[in-house]
Amino acid sequence: MRAGWSYVGRRALFALITIFVAISLNFVLFRLAPGDRTSALRCQGCTEEFKQNLKKEYGLDKSIPEQYVIYLEQTAKGDLGRSFVTEQPVIDELWQPIKNTVPMILLGTILSIMLGITTGVLAAWRRGTLSDKGVVWGGLLFYSLPTQWLALMLILYLAGPLHLPTSDIADPYLAYNNPGTWNELVDRFKHMILPAATIGLVLFGEYTLIVRSSMLEALGEDYILTARAKGLSNWEIVRKHALRNSMLPIVTLIFLSLGFILGGAILIETVFNYPGIGLQIYESVGNRDYPVLQGAFLLLTLMVIIMNFIADLLYFKLDPRVTE
Amino acid sequence: MSVLAVEDLHVWFELPDDKELHAVQGISFGLERGERMGLVGESGCGKTTAILAMMGLLPPNASAAGRILLDGEDILAGGDATMRLHRWNDIAMVFQGAMNAFDPVKTIGSQIQEPIETAGLAKGKAARARTAELLELVGISGERQDRFPHEFSGGMRQRAAIAMALACQPKVLLADEPTTALDVMVQAQILELLVRLTDELGLAMIMVTHDLPLVSQICQRAAVMYAGHITELGTTNELYHHPLHPYTRMLFGATPDLLAERDVVSIPGSPPRLDEPIAGCPFRPRCDSAIDACALAYPPTRTAEPGHSGSCFVEVSA
Amino acid sequence: MSFVDPPQAALPDVVRPPSRLRATLSFLRHHPQAVVGAIILLAFVFIAIFGPYLAPYGERQQVGPIFGTPSGAHPLGLDDGGIDMLSLLIYGARVTLIVGFAGAVVAMLVGGTIGIVAGYFGGKVDNALMRVTDYFLVIPDLVLMIVIASIWGRSLRNIILIIGLIYWTFMARLIRSQVKVVRERAYVKRAQALGASHTRIIFKHVIPQIMPLLLAQTVLMVALAIFLETAISFLGLGDPSVTSWGKMIENAFSRSAISYGAWWAIVPPGIAVALVIMAFNMLGTAVEDSLNPRLKVSHLSRRHFRLRPLPDKEDRS
Repeated sequence: MRAGWSYVGRRALFALITIFVAISLNFVLFRLAPGDRTSALRCQGCTEEFKQNLKKEYGLDKSIPEQYVIYLEQTAKGDLGRSFVTEQPVIDELWQPIKNTVPMILLGTILSIMLGITTGVLAAWRRGTLSDKGVVWGGLLFYSLPTQWLALMLILYLAGPLHLPTSDIADPYLAYNNPGTWNELVDRFKHMILPAATIGLVLFGEYTLIVRSSMLEALGEDYILTARAKGLSNWEIVRKHALRNSMLPIVTLIFLSLGFILGGAILIETVFNYPGIGLQIYESVGNRDYPVLQGAFLLLTLMVIIMNFIADLLYFKLDPRVTE
Repeated sequence: MSVLAVEDLHVWFELPDDKELHAVQGISFGLERGERMGLVGESGCGKTTAILAMMGLLPPNASAAGRILLDGEDILAGGDATMRLHRWNDIAMVFQGAMNAFDPVKTIGSQIQEPIETAGLAKGKAARARTAELLELVGISGERQDRFPHEFSGGMRQRAAIAMALACQPKVLLADEPTTALDVMVQAQILELLVRLTDELGLAMIMVTHDLPLVSQICQRAAVMYAGHITELGTTNELYHHPLHPYTRMLFGATPDLLAERDVVSIPGSPPRLDEPIAGCPFRPRCDSAIDACALAYPPTRTAEPGHSGSCFVEVSA
Repeated sequence: MSFVDPPQAALPDVVRPPSRLRATLSFLRHHPQAVVGAIILLAFVFIAIFGPYLAPYGERQQVGPIFGTPSGAHPLGLDDGGIDMLSLLIYGARVTLIVGFAGAVVAMLVGGTIGIVAGYFGGKVDNALMRVTDYFLVIPDLVLMIVIASIWGRSLRNIILIIGLIYWTFMARLIRSQVKVVRERAYVKRAQALGASHTRIIFKHVIPQIMPLLLAQTVLMVALAIFLETAISFLGLGDPSVTSWGKMIENAFSRSAISYGAWWAIVPPGIAVALVIMAFNMLGTAVEDSLNPRLKVSHLSRRHFRLRPLPDKEDRS
């Protein structure tokens, strides 16, 4: 038994505190908005009386501390307010988009992890060779491409030849032309390919470069020399010693880059008109739909915090030294 | 026949800027079965490079020449491919105490098992049992093989490293500063262990260190290295009482003596750079008995009596 | 120090440090990617400075039809307003680079100062700082940026402030850990023992030591800042009164350049952004690489040591 459960406990506590900070930050950020929030209600021509009623409805007539307490209570109950535009509860507005985004992001991320780790390891192993240089330059290139532009490039040059859809999440006429659960699934997948490929390629650049340098760092460690002295083949050295050690920082990195991935999802979903959480954010910015924006920000932050906690747990599992 | 013999071994390192560093400049010595020999010198004199060459573990920017004979067979001639067959099976190594010779995320036991399984000596349960035996041999309970390196103290890690070196029953053990970074009590225990094991198992050992007095306590013979050359080779007794080279004499003086019979005298200056040729004797700038001839050529090797030779123009005596 | 590094081990510490110029030259020689990066950057900085003199047409001058195809007079075609793309690209360089540099400098000044203070003094300041950076690390940056940008309003100054505000934490974290190392060095201890003031030690001893890392990080930060500027602009939160490359991509996208088949309205600004970001990354990673000694040794290599014939013995009697 390892005496590391206090580590898990401490990470859990940190996650909880972070969640609280995120919730509070969310409150503060939106109170900092210039002008009265009713001015954001696209209510330029409204009467003063109507505005007062609105303020009451949204609880804006109370003092800031009171508003904060009410906000905390509501958030704890999962009540994130109602959308200015559709008047529906924010949580309902966000649920479907999140369900659309998650598989797409997952597909792209898994793609990039597999590709990034393979090429990064290969490059480190064959350091200084042509394939290493190829991987480094390729990684640098993809790492430098603006996400939204890469998405547009895929639409311009890849969508046509591959007959892939470039907009929306499903073919609206599918039910008439070609019904069936299987066809529906295939159609969904096709709509997912280009957005996922964009995420995959952008992340690939970052992952491959970092895997390479982490691997190189591991290969410079003394225990690799010991392994060589023990007569292990290069492949065994990589598999048994270098890989596991170099993956330790990568695990954290992959989970940490989730925030970045979600940011990328906004750009990608905007380009592909993919009805996920990113497009929802884009549209609520345009509509000045603050409650939805606020809710989305909170949910995404929570997701990242939870993912970070999982990364901590994973690290605990992978590295026997983590006890303090 | 010597179990291990080195004949005119050279090692060079390619440096950036088209320079070359001649780290080992033609060393020769033989090691008898069951014998303990010290390879002594300051850091940067080529002793670690020499034993890495014997293990075939030189980095890719190195090149080597000469012969390394294991039971009469030249194992250097075949390059890495031949070296790999003998590595750990015939010649094993105990790495510097200060090094992280163990992978931090794997158990000590699994790392000792690795060479056993790689060499095909035992598998699974049998390999585990063998690992436990090896650990017991160095004074660690066999049950502790499932522990991780960070759970061991420095001394225990070094014991485990010795157990790991013995895994494939080698003929020769190379120990590179095995006691550096350990405290004095633990140092003594590790040395005692090495002496006991080599005696019991009939193992030959080369111990690399900068500590000549220590070598003279546990080794029968010693080779003193300076600037890539062996400057003096002989029994530790001869070296202490009748040194042929001023460097040997100064090395004995440079280490504190437990009995404090004499004052510690450190050798002024530092070893020369080896990336360009040196005219004359490389030790000349630091030598207290240099004569004019020393500036002109590398001194010839004189044999004072069978098995004791040194390279110096000047006859010195303690 | 690793012991398989005999070439280094064999060099005594009396080697004099090479002069700054020599060091720079040798750095560039061993990192060809840094040279490529620097050349690309200098070219773009030149364009940014002399843009108005270089651009063949005006920034808002309609010179032909909407999405006019590339021709001799307009090598990169026209945009959705019939404005010459090449001219726009040249004008855009200035805004893009300014946002990149200014954002990075804000991050560097704020993050650098806090990092140095926390690293040098340690204790409570340090603890508090680390907690704050921990929180910032988990907040999805682009999302936070969108939120702030949509609240603060669309202006260049706001974008720069937002970039600086979000990225100072990364800088602070890195600088802090480096300062902690420097603080323990002998000459700093000696200066402290001699009674030098903290300000003096920080400026005379600490900052010069961390300068290379600080610069490398700032360079990498510029790349990040430009990346974010294009993203914010693309989401329609950029400054409406100026032309930036991010804005050009957004314009092309929102005015359906794709359905017009007007690739020339999309491809060039993206390539410009990619080139600049890549140049900064090449420069930054090269400096970072040369600062990280741990990447220099590899115990695993497909190549092995070579064998060679014995040398002539003439030099040994």
